Amino acid sequence: MHIPDAFIPIWQGAIYWIIALVFVALALKWARDEMNEEKLPLIAVLAAGIFALQSFNLPVSMGTSGHLVGGALAAIILGSPFAAVFILTLVLIVQAILFGDGGITTLGANIINMGVIGGFVGFYTFKGMMGATKSMPISAFVAAWLACLIPSLACAVEMFLAGTFPLTEGLIAMGIYHGIIGVIEGFVTVAAIYLITTARPDLVDTGVKTPSGA
Amino acid sequence: MIEELFRIERDALKDSVIHRLDARVKIAIAFAAIIALVAVPYSTMIFTVGIIFYVFFCVLWACTRLSPIIYAKRALAIIPLWGIIIFFQIFLKNRYYTTYDVVMSLPFGINIYAQSIEFAFILFVKFVICISFIILLSSTTKLQDMLEGASRMGLPAEFALALGMMIRYLFVFGYMYRKINETLKTKCFDAFDHHLPYRYRLQQLGYTIGTMFIRSYEQGERVYTSMLCRGYGRESYLFVEKKALKRHEWAFLSTSLVFITAVPVIVWITRISLF
Repeated sequence: MHIPDAFIPIWQGAIYWIIALVFVALALKWARDEMNEEKLPLIAVLAAGIFALQSFNLPVSMGTSGHLVGGALAAIILGSPFAAVFILTLVLIVQAILFGDGGITTLGANIINMGVIGGFVGFYTFKGMMGATKSMPISAFVAAWLACLIPSLACAVEMFLAGTFPLTEGLIAMGIYHGIIGVIEGFVTVAAIYLITTARPDLVDTGVKTPSGA
Repeated sequence: MIEELFRIERDALKDSVIHRLDARVKIAIAFAAIIALVAVPYSTMIFTVGIIFYVFFCVLWACTRLSPIIYAKRALAIIPLWGIIIFFQIFLKNRYYTTYDVVMSLPFGINIYAQSIEFAFILFVKFVICISFIILLSSTTKLQDMLEGASRMGLPAEFALALGMMIRYLFVFGYMYRKINETLKTKCFDAFDHHLPYRYRLQQLGYTIGTMFIRSYEQGERVYTSMLCRGYGRESYLFVEKKALKRHEWAFLSTSLVFITAVPVIVWITRISLF
């Protein structure tokens, strides 16, 4: 899902950069205003943790593997989609500049996909599902699954707009692959939230205080 | 990826003319080269521009005194995933061509087009050279130097602080990741072991990830508290000493930027083609 340089024309990359910067500025404002004043360092250290936990290989099928994106997890635990925007922006910058995973000119698009879309879809799906089902496992699973799937579809649309991949084939390929990866992301996110709500319920800022979600 | 972090930082700690350059110079050259390459239209002129840029990259890499194997290994770790998407281009039509000539017809109505092969090559050249400049930048610049360089270039103070904190703790979590992996191995747990129920494997990985999340949050809390003890507040920022570029760095930077800008412009105006 990390679009590299060359797959999006420079002018489109610039537009995505501008949109992403608006959300990054809002995320910075959120970090300053909502995170009990100066808790910026805490989020930054957490971003390093998210970066490390993205390194765990998750078995998909037939020997293939995927890894956690973590946007939904961060947004659900910290109680704001801006948490995901902030954390994933830091993670994506390091991944692009250090590892070449994702590009410089496409960084804006990647922040929009994984941070903004992933964070907002994950957070609000979780909130909505919690209201409807009152079940943390179901809500977190659907939220994490959609937070993996929808950004991948956005990625396919961006590549179509760039003229580097046809829309239908892109949506099918990205949709199927991330639909499967999303199931794994869903299970792992549920297990992680279950553990966190059991061990440190005070960390969870979405109103979920018990593993079942009550 | 986290394992690669240590290797990259070890490479960045070595010494060479390129390593000794100010981070700002390397950031500016790498970013300028990438932007210039991406800005070149999806046309065959990228082959000429690309080969000139790649020679430039090779000269710089030779000056780093790092083995070409390091570059090859890093490039090979990145290229395959998007290489597959580039490969699939040969079967697809895109908006950059109006007519398509079938080179080969395959079953199920799948065709390979001459123009699509050309487009795949264009994408490949752009992609590989962009990646090469990122590898050059990260293999010759320590993370902390890169952050200081970016701060001196105008990265917002709040972002520099957050990024600085993140970078500092990347290595802590890198070691933590190693330890957790070793613990899982000691317990004979293998996420890819088909003898174990799939649900059990995912549950264990979920708990491991949850544990890591809690540990990173708790580490963050400790860091935050210790920073408060040392007087950290809303107005605090990362102190980066002012540092002027040396004369030879200015010379190298300006020459490189002129070269990076001039090559695509000259190729575009004169329609020179090396192929």
